[in-house]
Order: sequence, then C-alpha cells, then structure tokens
Amino acid sequence: MTLAITIGVLVAGAVFLMLQRGMVRIILGFVLLGHAANLLLMAAGGTYLRAQPLLGYTAADEASDPLPQAFVLTAIVIAFSITIYMLTLAATGRDDDTEDAS
Amino acid sequence: MVLLILLLFLAAAVVVTFPLDRLLGRDAGWPLALVLLALAGVVLALAPQVLGEGRTIEFVRPWMPTIGVELRLRMDGIGWLFTLLVTGVGALILAYSTRYFPRGPRLGFYALMTLFAFAMTGLVLADDVVLLFVFWELTTIASFYLIGLSGPAGSRPAIRTFLLTVVGGLALMTAVVLMALKVGTTRLSVILADPVWGEDPTFASVVALLVILAAFTKSAQFPFHYWLPDAMAASTPVSAYLHAAAMVKAGIFLLMRFTPAFGALPVWNLTLLTFGLVTAVIGAVFALQQHDLKELAAYSTVSQLGLLVAVIGVGTEAALVAAAVHTFAHALFKAALFMVVGVVDHQAGTRDLRELGGLRRRMPVTATVATLAGLSMAGIPPLLGFVSKENVFKGLLEAPGPGWIAPLAGTVAVLASVFTFAYTYRFVHGAFWGSPRAPQDDVVEAVPGFVGPAALAAGLGLALGPAVSTLNPMAERAAADAVGAEDAKAELTLWHGLSVDLFMSLAAIALGALLVWWTASGERLAGRRLFPVRGVTIFEALRSGIIRLGRRTGDLTRSDAPPRHLVVPILLVAALAAAVLVIGPDVPGLYGDPSGPLDWLLVTLAVTSVCGAVVTGSRTAGLVMVGVAGFTTALWLFLLGAFDVALTQLVVEILTVVIAALVLRRLPRRFHRIPRPRAVVTGAIAIVAGASAALGAYFLTGRREPSEVSRYFLDNSEEDTGGTNVVNTILVDYRALDTLGELVVLGVAGLIIIAVLNSSGLLPAHSDRTLAVGPSSAAYDADDNTLVMRAATYVLLPLIVFWSLLLFVRGHTDVGGGFIAGLVGGAGFALMYLAAPSASVARISLAYPRIIGSGVIIAVASGLLGYLDGAFLRPLHGYVTLPLLGEQHLTTALLFDVGVYLAVVGVVLTALNQLGVEGSLPGESTGGTMAPTEDQPPTNDDDPPGRREGPPDEAEAPADRIHVDDGGVR
Repeated sequence: MTLAITIGVLVAGAVFLMLQRGMVRIILGFVLLGHAANLLLMAAGGTYLRAQPLLGYTAADEASDPLPQAFVLTAIVIAFSITIYMLTLAATGRDDDTEDAS
Repeated sequence: MVLLILLLFLAAAVVVTFPLDRLLGRDAGWPLALVLLALAGVVLALAPQVLGEGRTIEFVRPWMPTIGVELRLRMDGIGWLFTLLVTGVGALILAYSTRYFPRGPRLGFYALMTLFAFAMTGLVLADDVVLLFVFWELTTIASFYLIGLSGPAGSRPAIRTFLLTVVGGLALMTAVVLMALKVGTTRLSVILADPVWGEDPTFASVVALLVILAAFTKSAQFPFHYWLPDAMAASTPVSAYLHAAAMVKAGIFLLMRFTPAFGALPVWNLTLLTFGLVTAVIGAVFALQQHDLKELAAYSTVSQLGLLVAVIGVGTEAALVAAAVHTFAHALFKAALFMVVGVVDHQAGTRDLRELGGLRRRMPVTATVATLAGLSMAGIPPLLGFVSKENVFKGLLEAPGPGWIAPLAGTVAVLASVFTFAYTYRFVHGAFWGSPRAPQDDVVEAVPGFVGPAALAAGLGLALGPAVSTLNPMAERAAADAVGAEDAKAELTLWHGLSVDLFMSLAAIALGALLVWWTASGERLAGRRLFPVRGVTIFEALRSGIIRLGRRTGDLTRSDAPPRHLVVPILLVAALAAAVLVIGPDVPGLYGDPSGPLDWLLVTLAVTSVCGAVVTGSRTAGLVMVGVAGFTTALWLFLLGAFDVALTQLVVEILTVVIAALVLRRLPRRFHRIPRPRAVVTGAIAIVAGASAALGAYFLTGRREPSEVSRYFLDNSEEDTGGTNVVNTILVDYRALDTLGELVVLGVAGLIIIAVLNSSGLLPAHSDRTLAVGPSSAAYDADDNTLVMRAATYVLLPLIVFWSLLLFVRGHTDVGGGFIAGLVGGAGFALMYLAAPSASVARISLAYPRIIGSGVIIAVASGLLGYLDGAFLRPLHGYVTLPLLGEQHLTTALLFDVGVYLAVVGVVLTALNQLGVEGSLPGESTGGTMAPTEDQPPTNDDDPPGRREGPPDEAEAPADRIHVDDGGVR
C-alpha cells in the first residue's frame, strides 16, 4: 500500500516532467521514472519480508527476495549511465533547452 | 555417407574458389568443373544401386534434436535425376565460363556458382522439410547475388527476382510449418506417405496451393513468368545454369516431390494443368516476338517449364515418366542454347537478331551445335527432344477429369509446340542460316574450350535420341517415386508405331512450319505488344505502393517531440487500468503485512519532493528535489532490506547531482515557463498515469508467497558459490551473463558521451551564471574558495579509497560488490574534482576509455576462464590456505567483479572529465591555468607543468565552444 502510493506519486511526477518541452525537465522525469520502476521491481518481490539477504546475518526463510534486488542494483547503474548521457545531450549542440517558446 | 560426401565436396569447392581465383583467375573454372564432373561421375556410379536395384540411399545426422529436425539426406530416383543435372550441367557451365569471361579474377562468380550448386544439391537430396526450406532459400539468395554481379543494370532485376522468389519461399515455409504440425514430424518421406492427404482434403488443398505458389514463383509460371526474362540481366553462364537448367527446375522438382501427397487432389491437377498450359502458350508466343536471342531463350524456358508443370499436374505414371525425361532433355538442349547465345554474343558482339544472320559461314561448329540443340527443342526426330515431347503429349492425354479435358490439354500443348517450332526456327535460322544483316568480317569461330561444353550438351541430345531406352530405368524410378508406387513402367523408344502422340508431333511440326511461313519466321509478330501491361510494371507499381503505405503509416508517429510518442502508451496503459478497475480486479488477498509504520514518512517525503520538482521554476531546485526523491528511494530500499541496493542508489544519487551540476552551469538558471493550458493537460495525464501505476502496484504485487527462484538462491547460494551475499552472488555467479551485458551498456554509454562531445562541443557556461560575490570577497578566488574542501579531501580521500576497496573485497559475503565499490571510488574522484581550484587542475589524467575497455575485457576474460569448467562465465571457486590469512575463499567471480569495478569507475571519470571542462569563469585560473583553445589543444596532466603556464590574456579569452578532452585516446 505505502510502496504503491510512493510508486504512483513518482510516476505522476515523472510523466508530468517528461511531457514538457526542454531536455532538463525530461531528464529529471526520466530519473523519477527510474526510481518508480525500481521500486515496482522491489514490490514484485513482496514487501512483508524485509530482512537483508545476507546469510551471515539472516536466516534464509526470513530474508527478502534477492532476485529483484539484483535486478534493481544493475538497473540503478544503467539508469545512471543513461542519465549522464542525456545530460551530455542537454549540454551540447543547439542551445534548444533555453528557448522560452512552448 | 556418399550423400554427405557429395555435399561436403561441394561445400569444399565453395571454399577453394578463394585460393583458386587468386591463382588462376578465370581459369579457376577448370578445376571447379572437374570437381563437379567427378561428382556427376559419382552420381552415375550410383545408378546401378538407385535405378537398377531400386535402393534408396539415406544419410542421417542429428541437427536440432530438441525440435526433431535432422540433417537427413535421401537419394531416390527424383533426387538422382536432379543431382545428376545439377552436377553435370554445372560442370559444363563452369568449363564454359573460363572462356566466356575476360581474363582476370572472377571470385564472386565462381564462389556463388559453386555455392548455388551446393544449395541445389542439398535441396534435391533433403529428406527433412526444414532442411529443404533452408536450401530452397539458399538458392534464392545465390541467384540474387549472381544476377546482381552484372553491375548496376542487374540490380533492379536482382531485387525483383529476389522479392518474388522470397514470396514463394514464404509460402513454402508456411506449407512446411503446416505439414510438420499436422503430421508431427519434419521428415519429408514420412510426411509424403502420411494418410492425412487423403483423409483431410481441405487441409491437403491448402498446403498444395502453398507448395504450388512456391513452385510457380521459382519456375516462372504465369502470372510470375516475367521475372525469368527480367533476370537475363545476369551474365550468360549464370542464365544458362540458374535460369535454364537448375534453379528454375527447383520448382519442377518440388512439384514432382510432392506429387505422392497431392497428385490425386482435383485442385492440384486443375491448377497445374491450367497454369502450366497457359504459361506454355504465352511463353512460346512471347519467345517468337523477341529480337534478343537471350530473351527468346528465356521465354522459351518459361514455355517449356509450363509444359512440364502441366504434365506433372496430370499425375499419372506415364505423365511423370514424361516429366522426368523432358526435364532431362530440356536441361541438355536449353543449356546448350544458352551457351550458344553467349558464344554468339562474345564472338559477334551482339545477340540482336536484327544484326545477325548467316553466322554458319564464320562459325560452323557453333552453328552445328545450335542447330542440333534447336532440333531437339523443336521436337524433331531422332533427337531426344522429340521423344520427350511425344511423351509429354501422351501424358497430357491422360489428364483426369471430364472427358473433354484431355483432348483440350493435348490441343493446347500442340499449339504451344507449334510456336516452339516457330521460335526455334527464328533462333537458329535467324542467327546462323539466312544471310548476314551486318558485316561480319571480324567474326571468328570460338575456341574449343568455349563452344565445347555446348557441343557436348547438344551432342548428348543427339546420341540419346536413338538410344533413349537407356533412360528407361531413370524414368521408371523417378516416376515410381513421384506417384508413390513400388515401380513404374517406361517404354521410351524413338518409334512407337502410328500412335496419337506421333500425329500430334507431326501436326506441331507441320503447323509450326506454316506459322514460320505466315509470320516470316516471327518478324511480323516481333516487338508487338500483346498485353496492355508488362509484368515488371505491375510488380514495380505494387512494390512502390507497399512502400508508400508503409511511409504513410510511419508518418503517424514521425515526430521529434517526445510527448507525441509518450502520450499514446501512457494513455493506453491508463485506459487499460480503468477498464480493469471497472470490471473489478480479481486478485488474491495480500500476503503478510506489506506496510510498516516508517513507510508513511517516506510517502510524505516522496510527495514533497515530487511536488517540489514539478512546480519549481529553478533548474537547480528541480535537480535538488529530484535528488531528494532519489534519497527517498534509497531509504525505501533500505527499509525493504536491500542494503546493497540502497547504498548503490545513495552513491548514484550523489554522483548524478554532481554531474548534473556540471551541466546545469551551461544552461539558464530558470526553466522556461509552462503555459497554463499545457500544465493543466499534462498534469491531468500525469495524475491519471500515477493513479494507474499506484493501482497496478497495489493490486498486482505482494499477493504471493516468496517465489521458488528466490528460495533457490537463498538456500543454495552459499553452497554453489561460497558467497553469503545472495544479491552479489546473483550478480556475479548466477546471472553473470546479464551483468556482463549491463556492463557493456554502461561502457558504451561512457564511450557515446565521448563521441557526442567530440562531434559537437559543449555549450559554454551560461551568461546567467555569475558569481554571487564580488572580487573583494574571499570566496571570489577559486584557490581560497576551495581551501576547506581541499583540506577535507586530504582526510576523506584515503578513507574513501579504503572504503571502496573494503566494499569490493567483502562484496561476495557482506554488503558491497563491484558496482557499489566502483561508485564509491567514482565518488572519491568526484570529491577530488570538486575540491580542485580549476578545471584543468581537476582533470584526472587517467585514460578512462581504456579503463572502461579493460573492465569489459577483464569481465569477458573471467568468463572465458569459466570454460575450464565447461561454460562461459561459470565461476571457479575453492578454498585455499594462505600463509598469514589462514583459509581463504577464492573465486573467479571476484575477477569478474574487478571488471565491473573498472567499468563503473571509467564511466564516472568519463562524465567528470568530459562534462567538467570549463572555459574561464570569473574567479578561476589564479594558478595560471587556462582554458584550452583551438590552437592549444587540451593536454593531459602528465605534461610538464610549465607548458600550462599560458599568457594571462589568453587565459581570459572567452572560449566560444570548449574543446573536449578525449582522455588520451586521440
């Protein structure tokens, strides 16, 4: 429930920003959408078991689902690389992000 | 086994064309012809077994066992006949090619011709429908390239031929899939013998029509007949082999092959008879109209193929005997005629009948060859063509159906033969007899190597006429295979007595002579258009129409503005959510307690940060607000027990803000305003989308027990990998291939940044961006300004490095891993960067593209190590006792993680160095540093410091576009 609300809020913000003109807003929207997607992946694993999947500390039947965590971990890094690539695009070429036309 | 050897020899021949062409140039055709001749000899040597004893040679090797597809070869009578034609005629044509082409390398030609021979042999020997289809398509591809070899003039015909035959290929594929599904095997001989063809006539008819479509496109039957003359843009050897003797016979082969299954279907008989006879007549009429010898021969081929198709459509034993013999006879005389066309073209410099004539005086041998082949084609006794055509007549007279069909079919076939006689006369008389229409003083007879192969083919047609009974075993076996009987009876002789078919032959000859007289051997018909449109025109119109339709469809979404693309899926998802909500979602109850009390704090944080990011007009504020949302996400991950992931998110958030700040300097302080109507519309869409996402997340997740796969990882990771950090073991042990892929994406993103900035430079710092303090303030000077940061760096940097290494080393068992460690290391570089008083001092002199590359290489290398244990990326691990440290766990997954680490660090360094380069800002450059300019490109920091001491005025010069350092790869 709480996670679902968070996801909804992040998606709403992301969609609003991505539908605007201007690269930076789109990038910020993209970042928010990445957060939402990652949290959704986590939600898919279930949220009632919340112990870390470190077998040195946690018994195997209490640990949270490790698979979505592995997905999310790499997803974060990839979203990061795409974000900096988009930032590069925002700072090159024609200066179209500063036009005040809409 | 012998079948595999046949194929392997042909495959080897394809390979040796490369060195042979190097060594021998056009003469490479000789050894290749010898190979094919030897293989034809092998096929002949198999005759006692296959034809005499009636044995079927088979060869099986598993190919795709999971779907039951085998490399299954089978030589029965039909296979034997066609293999002999492909290798025998192939040998003749390759020998002929050595004198057809001018001296010099002919690599593409010989490689493709042998490839084609390989494909064709595979096709006729295949006993698996999948294999059959693969070879079928291979012949199409070889044909496409062979036509295309003849330069720009051949490119359009090549494409037209290719597209058309591909349509047929798709039909064949559909038929193959249907057959395999229905019968339950892909083995061709089993499929053909299956009772389903008799039990389910509807299904049988559908598959039969698909096979017919495939065969018609390949064998140029009406209405697809036009591609064959079109393909005459190819060089003559190609035409002689593919478009006269071999490839077009693939369709005939296919029809004969499938006769056991479809031979009794009325739709099969009727379609083949009708279209075959129509093709036979119009092909013959068109042939009579041609001026160009090659086009004449091409239309003649169309017509002869039509006769073959029609007689196969009859489906009786006698008809298939006729089909087998006529296929054989046609291959001989048509290959000879095509080769003669090439000889004439080569020696006389033209193949236009209006400029030829009387060549027999200059080229007596060629004239004899042409005459012999022509007599065979026209069906004059005692040549082989006479016997085969007579048998075709006899076969057609057995046509099934109402009583009037057989006489009609016979009459139409005679009509086609009347025209055949006429166009043959036009060909032979027009070129070789009669009187010259242009001076021929420099025309000489062709060398023996050139005309020899044609003479051989034509001579065989002459010899086999009286000796036609030697073909009896072949015709019997092929016909028996084609009708699916144990054995068949063929009584091929030159003299049958006074039978109906003899009179049909005589009528064809007599009426043909009349037609020659009446049309002045075709001159009166030549060049006249009988049809209002040409096939090529229709084809081109269809093709451009389809492309236009595609473009129209594409226009709907062709826009640079992302909203136009994004709105559609967003609204569709929302509509889907609404629809489900109206129906009422039927989902299981929540499993366990999904919420904790602290969660609400995070919800509040998320709402606040997102609202802030949406409403703010300041870019910096927007960035900060999105950063807060990122920290909220990190906290969420922490609460959910994903410590590794939370840490990654945290560091990524820091780095994103640092790098975004580097970019935002180049842009105005404030966003442009969102006009009110747009804000309302996009806001509404956003709320709908957010609600859908929230409802989806609520109803579709958290309603099941832990998944089996997660159980597996938790229960087995320690034993499988020796690691206790399950997330890390998933990344580097279980799903290392995924991680490798992600690593490559990461590296590529880094390289793209370099590439983009190299092609279009960074924007300069924006004019909005000025220092908030004046020159009198202590904070104005960059050296003073960064003092605190630099001091802190001395303490923090070693700690960060240590922490990064610690996270890395213990990642397999505890919180950490290559990704996190790499990001923390990158954060260390970011700190150094921020603390530096100027961009040039800050620039880190490591060759970061190489770091990215070495990361990927190390990860792949550790994957290759896995082959020691049998699989790519399988980690090798074990426990070793080291002197000081006691027993330690070692795994190659750690090596893989080194690759991850390096790639991550490399990308962070790339971003900092590429986006951080700076022109002169007020307050910077107290250390005498300068902005790179056009004439003084940026240097790496390993240069002597003195070089960087530029004159102060140059340092002040504002750089319009800032040069970008490429990290030492230039």
